[in-house]
Amino acid sequence: MNAVVADITYRAMLGRKRIWLLALLPAALIGMAALLRLIGGPDEHTAVILMEKFSIGTMLPLLGLIAGTGVIAPEIEDGTIIHLLAKPISRPVIALTKFVVAASLVAVFGALSTFVAAFLLIRDESGVAYGFSLGALLGGVAYAAVFMLVGVLTRHAVTVGVIYALVWEGLVGGYVPGARTFSIQQWATSIADQISSSPFLTSDVSLGFAISAMVVVTVGSLVWAGQRLRSLSLTGDE
Amino acid sequence: MMPEPTGVIHDIGYRHYEGARLGRGSAFAALTVHSLRGAFGFGRTARAKIMPLLLSTIMLLPAVVSIAIMALVKQQGVKYPDYAVFMQAVLAVFLAAQSPYLVAPDLRFRVLPLYLSRPVAVLDYLGAKLAALSIAMFLVLAVPLTLLFAGELLVDLPGPPHTAEYFSAMAGAVILAVILAALGLALASFTPRRGLGVASVIAFYLFTSAVSAVFYGVFMSMGRDTAGKWAMLINPFFLVDSVQVALFGTAPSNGDGYPPGLWPCLIVVMVIAVALAGLFLRYRKAASS
Repeated sequence: MNAVVADITYRAMLGRKRIWLLALLPAALIGMAALLRLIGGPDEHTAVILMEKFSIGTMLPLLGLIAGTGVIAPEIEDGTIIHLLAKPISRPVIALTKFVVAASLVAVFGALSTFVAAFLLIRDESGVAYGFSLGALLGGVAYAAVFMLVGVLTRHAVTVGVIYALVWEGLVGGYVPGARTFSIQQWATSIADQISSSPFLTSDVSLGFAISAMVVVTVGSLVWAGQRLRSLSLTGDE
Repeated sequence: MMPEPTGVIHDIGYRHYEGARLGRGSAFAALTVHSLRGAFGFGRTARAKIMPLLLSTIMLLPAVVSIAIMALVKQQGVKYPDYAVFMQAVLAVFLAAQSPYLVAPDLRFRVLPLYLSRPVAVLDYLGAKLAALSIAMFLVLAVPLTLLFAGELLVDLPGPPHTAEYFSAMAGAVILAVILAALGLALASFTPRRGLGVASVIAFYLFTSAVSAVFYGVFMSMGRDTAGKWAMLINPFFLVDSVQVALFGTAPSNGDGYPPGLWPCLIVVMVIAVALAGLFLRYRKAASS
């Protein structure tokens, strides 16, 4: 961890237009929860639909994508990363610092808003609020690590991330059950399912696999990103 | 007394342009063709070709599988009007990946004044970009549909060919291409960064599709079917599908149908108008900087 690098990254993330995307989605989630409360008896089923489809299914991958690629990809694109890499700071430490910034942002915006929205809908009925916030927290951390790695690996980080989230988790996961085993979204749902006792929530992945897969993916992405930063080549923009 | 000036201008042999000076129309056409080529990666680096060509190929897969099904079991696979809704994720990714390319570099490197110092006006520039992206989106959807139709004619299914369905789907593809291009350009033009542009376009799609799915599910479970059908229209792909249903009488691809009447058509026109107004306001500011 390097405090100066973290400080600069926080300022870059929060001081630009990126903050709007980061803040709008959680605001929309809470707004939808309020609206659903307004239009009719919010029940556990509604809450689970909202959490599963919107919170874990849409907001979390997007937040992970925006924060994960946002901490490093613009710097690589601009070429200003060279100033950072030229400093006597170990590259894995830079990667770790950037990851901590991204993960903390996803945790604050994602997990907190999930908890507020679920609590607004059904209070703490059958642990739905706690389950989904913990799922969003851990899933968000994994997403941040993976998408930061993608940001280091390719210029088209956002597009590649979108294809993973939409085509793999959404389209392929919807038709091919086996694909769901390798989906961060499903791991997060599995954790939520473990804590909440709601009958409306089922998960395809066992908890043991979900947690170990999350740890492996997060640590693996971090190590790979750190190694990759050690031999990063800066080529011109197209 | 001043000495006589001794400086001379040497003619070092630059040639003057003596050909015909083409006007605004040609500039518009050139910009459109250039942007359209760029949307598929032609005239750009090899790396820029991967994504659009990969996504276009993925779009063809259901058509190919469908033709195989028709040939083997003599049964229609994917129906023409359902194609766009079925492949909406891929279309959305294509839109998100390519619309920032059309607008972001010009904003980022501040070359807009260079365009505008030519006979091209802001409206021409935006019209060319909109036309290029609309044509690109249309091609991505229309080529698989046409392939599917050609396949159906060749396989010669029992019963008459689904010609009316095919042409309805093609008309729907035009509407879908225009509304998606207008939305994509409007969202992408607000940031000069490509990555952020991709993220905001895809965030818009994911947001609308998730909101419509959540409200549809909630309304249906509460037994308020009409409200549920209206909620479907938040997703632009279902919105265009409902226009298709209203105008051409195709079968709705969501299974439950849409609100009756011509309201969806009005909503489509309004969405396009708002997106284009936003785009124009954005460029009125950008053109002067």
